[in-house]
This record gives sequence, structure tokens and C-alpha cells, in this order.
Amino acid sequence: MKIRIAILALLSACLLFALPGSARAQGRTITFAVGGAPSELDFWERLLRDFTAQTQIRVELLRQPTDTSLRRQSLVVALNARKSDPDVFLMDVAWLAQIAASGWLAPLDAPLGKGGCGERGAFFPRIVAVADTYGGRLVALPVYVDGGLLYYRTDLLRKYRLRGPPRTWDELLRDSETVQKGERRNHPRFFAFVWQGAQYEGLVCNFLEFAGAGGGFSVADGKVSIDTPGNRKALRVMRDLLHKYRVSPPNTYTEMREEETRLFFQEGNALFERNWPYAWALHEAPGSRVRGATAVAPMPSFARGRGVSTLGGWHAGVSRFSDAKEESFRFLCFLGSYAVQKKLALHLGWNPGRRDVYEDPEVLTRMPHLRSLRAIFENARPRPVVPYYSQLSEILQRHLNAALADRSSPEEALQAAQREMQAIASRYGR
Amino acid sequence: MDRSPGELLRGYAFLLPLALFLAAFVLVPIGGTFVGSLMRDVTFLPERFAGAENYRALLSDPGFAQALRFTVLFTAASVPLELLLGLAVALLLAHPSRARGALRACVLIPWAIPAAVSGKVFQLVYNYNYGLANYLMNAMGVVDRPVNWLGTSTGAFLSLVLADAWKTTPFVAIILLAGLSGIPGHLYLQAQIDRAGYLRRFTRITLPLLSTVLLIALLFRTIDALRVFDLMFVLTGGGPGGSTTSLSLYGYNYFLGGDFGYGSAVSVVLFLIALGLSLLYLRVGRFARELP
Repeated sequence: MKIRIAILALLSACLLFALPGSARAQGRTITFAVGGAPSELDFWERLLRDFTAQTQIRVELLRQPTDTSLRRQSLVVALNARKSDPDVFLMDVAWLAQIAASGWLAPLDAPLGKGGCGERGAFFPRIVAVADTYGGRLVALPVYVDGGLLYYRTDLLRKYRLRGPPRTWDELLRDSETVQKGERRNHPRFFAFVWQGAQYEGLVCNFLEFAGAGGGFSVADGKVSIDTPGNRKALRVMRDLLHKYRVSPPNTYTEMREEETRLFFQEGNALFERNWPYAWALHEAPGSRVRGATAVAPMPSFARGRGVSTLGGWHAGVSRFSDAKEESFRFLCFLGSYAVQKKLALHLGWNPGRRDVYEDPEVLTRMPHLRSLRAIFENARPRPVVPYYSQLSEILQRHLNAALADRSSPEEALQAAQREMQAIASRYGR
Repeated sequence: MDRSPGELLRGYAFLLPLALFLAAFVLVPIGGTFVGSLMRDVTFLPERFAGAENYRALLSDPGFAQALRFTVLFTAASVPLELLLGLAVALLLAHPSRARGALRACVLIPWAIPAAVSGKVFQLVYNYNYGLANYLMNAMGVVDRPVNWLGTSTGAFLSLVLADAWKTTPFVAIILLAGLSGIPGHLYLQAQIDRAGYLRRFTRITLPLLSTVLLIALLFRTIDALRVFDLMFVLTGGGPGGSTTSLSLYGYNYFLGGDFGYGSAVSVVLFLIALGLSLLYLRVGRFARELP
């Protein structure tokens, strides 16, 4: 009896160790980690089959959730353990620097340069320079570019005889008050302007856009600069939209993230909406109450001048621990190719990282708003590119949100943020 | 109680598998986390021994202080509430009735739902625009404008305590129910013969005989409440203004940001609090049991 149990235990132990080895097919297989809705992942599966047909390289799709921090979590865990899978993955521009600074990305200068597939030059040069280059080396490729936009209701602007979308925050406030006052008569739940104010990364993106050219935050030589007159003014305006003018809903700072904002606007409950470009296709989809009555404009600014869009988006990189680097580089070239970037735009509504796709006639007929997006992306403002950005952001989110909740004044909030963020920069700055 | 050496040896041999299991899955990770908390273990910086550096940073970190305060308050508010509600539910369920089986199954449902899912459920309850709470309040005419339940730190705190109570009261109830069923029925019968009223039977028989089980429930719930993560992660994201960030959530954000050393230090503090409270409970519990 004892012997039989011992043998059984031994056998099962062997089986446990043998399984991963046997499941790994020999030959050229790479793993690609990407997240998204099920329909998006189904599209990826089709795309991967195309790649395999072209190159005989098999690609396994590692399905990740939609949420960016969960996607990041699975990557940080795998890469920190130096696992060879996934070989290729997508990174949010907000935490790309952390992954790059950890030395987890294979340099791409050679495979994507002139000697390789040469795709690098086709991408937005500024974005590649700021976001995809770390320590002088190319480490990623922007396959999906994002920037904040102001969506507005053309029918309401006409109804209230407003000439066009606001170009300054003052104009936006004035238009908001006019329209909200009128609409409230038979639409009690109407709020003129919706944006993202909950305590999460999106709040920082919104804040940078409110602050515009006269504000924002920077980290240079280990010095953080966040408590500036421009930022105080921006935060006051954000708070006043909620508590003084009441043109933004009271739950802005508790529940408003991208999807809540989009749905609120799509139900016809708002005049203006700050959101990423993905909302466009959904606003124009059948069943949307704002279909055919929506347009986009650049974000407003304080003085006359150009508004600021926060740069967002997903960038593809190759793991340094990949055991199939050559194949992974070829897959990256495939992702960055004109044909695939165009397909991603047409099927997933992704804004291409390649500039030439923005002139494609077929893409432009299906997505006319892309025409104006290109200029916005050219000038989009990146969040500070430091490996400890997320620690800084966590502090900033907390204090911005406290000011929006009216728990602290904008001045107190930014002073406290300045102190705590400086401590972080001193701790991690070398 | 004398035991032969052979018997002792056999006893230890039987304990060995469990001891190995505990060592591998409990002691090693705890030790590893403690060692990690003494390192500068940041993915984007060279690793080195840091001594108490992480702990010193914790002391001057207002975010950590806020998370610590919230976690302790949350535990202090939710655990007694859950014990009281759980006891009430257990007493009700202990009463013989035809629907008892069905009722017991029903009560268990919230406990069976994963915490993240129940967080999502409560998102639909507290939502400002289409939430159930605002709908009911409005339908009853209590308010004419929707309430932003999660909008103040007090509101968010109470909402979270309520959601946690909904989810874990069944757990307490089931444990206490098991305790109740262990109390011999003849005790009650004898007490009734002695004309002891319901309250008297409850305070003289039920409570004393239930005390060990109550202590276990208290212990489990306290440790669980200290570690709370999912509810805030889903419901408030730690807001407004960081006022509902639990220690687990705070540490998680640092793990995510690549600072495993600092995240480990937060975990160690959490572990020490849980350990200290557990030892205290056991001590007080033993004291209570030694009373005549």
C-alpha cells in the first residue's frame, strides 16, 4: 500500500514537471499578448493566421483583459520572472518607460532600421522620439496612437445658435451654461460637459489638458514641478465646473471614467465630452442617440492658442527574454506594416501609428475624423517619461481627486502633491 | 500522558506533510516578503540591500498613513457589524422551520459570489445615474435629486462597509450556525423547565457556549477585513481623494509600479497588524475560557 502511494506520488510529480515541456511545441512559435473585448481578440486571431500563412511562423495569442493595469500586472509578473513568454506584447504609453528602464525590452534599432524591414521612418517621428526611445535606443513601436479630443453636439450648437466648438475654456463654460439652462427645461438630467475625474490615470490625462500649454508637470534632474500658477488655475476650473457652475455631473470625481462619460454623452445627456478617439465609432454606431449629430474638435486652451491633447496609445515591443527574437522582430514589422495598420484602423478603429495611413482614401471615407486627428497626434503631449511615473501619478491622482471632491483646496492639493512627488523623485532618481 | 518515543516519532511523521506544506506555502513566502522589504528591489534600479530604508520611507509617507488609517477604521466598523448581523441570521436559521434548507442556501449566495463581482453588483446599486439606491429613494420620494453615494469620504466609507457586510455576513452566520447546532438541546429544555426566559437562555447558555466559535469568526473576519482589496479596487478605486485606499490596494500599486521592496514593506506591516491582533484575540479568548 505504502509503496503504491509512493509510486503514485512520484508519477504525478514527474507529470507535473513534464507537462510544460511537452506542451511547448518545437519550432518557431511566438506568443503575442494583447488585451481587448472578445470581438477584438477574434479579429487578432484572424490577423495572426494571415501572418502564419505569410511566414510559416506560428503565433499564439495570449488573451489579456481590457483593463490597462491588469494587462500591466501580467506583463510585470512574467518579465520580472524572466519568462520567455510572451515574446511580443503591447504596452500602454503611460508605463512603457518602466518596462524599458527595467531592461526588459529588446532593442529594435537594427531590425526596424534600414538593414531590417525599415518601417521605423513611417511612424510619427515625435512620438517615436519621446515615447519609444529609451536610453538612445528604439525599444517599441506605436501601433495605436491616442490623444484627448473634445466631442460636441452639432444639433445643440445649431439650436442655440452657437457658431462653432469652443476654442478656449471660457468659451466652453459660456456655451455650457447657455445650453444647459435651455435643455434643463425638459431634460432634468442634462449636464453640459462630461470628462474623466475619477481617481485613476485618466484624471491625470484630463488635468494635463485643462492645464494646457501654461501648465502640466515635468521631472527634470530629479526635480518635480507640479505646484505652478498655471496648474492651480486649471484645477480651480475643474473644481468649479462641478461645484460652482455645476455644468459637469456631481459623480464626475467618483464614477466618471472613459466608458461612463461616453455612455452619458451617447444617451444625449451632454453637449461636450472629453474622450479618446475610440468613442467616435461608438457614437456613430446604429442605436446611438447622438448618431449624425457629433463632431470632434481639438481641446480648448486658456489663452488663444493651441489646446493640448495628452498622448495615449499602445506600443508594441519584444521581450529581452524571448527565445524567438528573429521571429518576434518579423512579427513586429508585420504589425507596423501599412496593410496591417490599415486593417487595425478599419476593423478596430485604432488610430494608426503610421502617418501614411492617414492619407489612405479608403480609411478616410470610412473614418473622416482621422483627417483632423493627425495634426492633434503630431502635437500630443506625453506624460513625463520616467520609470517611476506611475508612483508620481498615483499621488497626483489622489490629490487632484481630493480637490475635485472639495476635500482640499486646489492650492493645498497641489502643494501636498508637490511634496510627496518630490519625495518619490528623490527616492528613485539616481 | 506519557508517550513512548516510537509513538511520538510516528506522531511527528504524520504531522510532517502538513508542516512541509505550511513551510512551502506560508513560511517561505512570508520570509521572502520580509527579506524583500529590506532590499531596494525596484525593477528599474540596481538591486541592493537597503536595511530599514523602505520602512523609514513608509513612516513619512502620507499616502501610507491614510491607507493605514482607512484599513483600521474599515476593520473596526465592518467586523462588529458583520458579527452582530451574522449572529442574528444564525439564530433565525437555527429555528426549525420548513423552509430552513432553502433559506440556508439563499443566505449563502452572497458569500459564494467572488468579491470583485459583488463589487460590480454594488456599483450598480450606488451608481449616481442609474443605480438602484437612487432609484428606490426617488421612487419613495425621499429625495428629488440623486445622491452621490461615493462622493464624500464618509459616504464612500459607509457604502463600502455595507457592501462588505452584505458579502461576508453569511460566512459569519454559517460558522455560528455550526456552533449553535453543537449546543445540546437538553440544556435549553432544562432552562425552560427552570422558567428561564429567552433573553436569559441566550445570555446564559447560547453566548457562553458559542464563545469559542465566535472567536474563530472574529479572527477570520478581522484578518480578512484587514486584507480587503477587491471592493475598493472595483467600487471606488481608492477615492475620493485616496480616502478609501486600503493597505493592500496601496501596496499593490507599488508592486505594479515595479517597486517590490516598498510593496513588500507595506505587506509586512499588514501582516504584523494581523498577527498582533490574532495573538491578542487568542490570549483574550483563552482568558475568557478559563473563567468559571
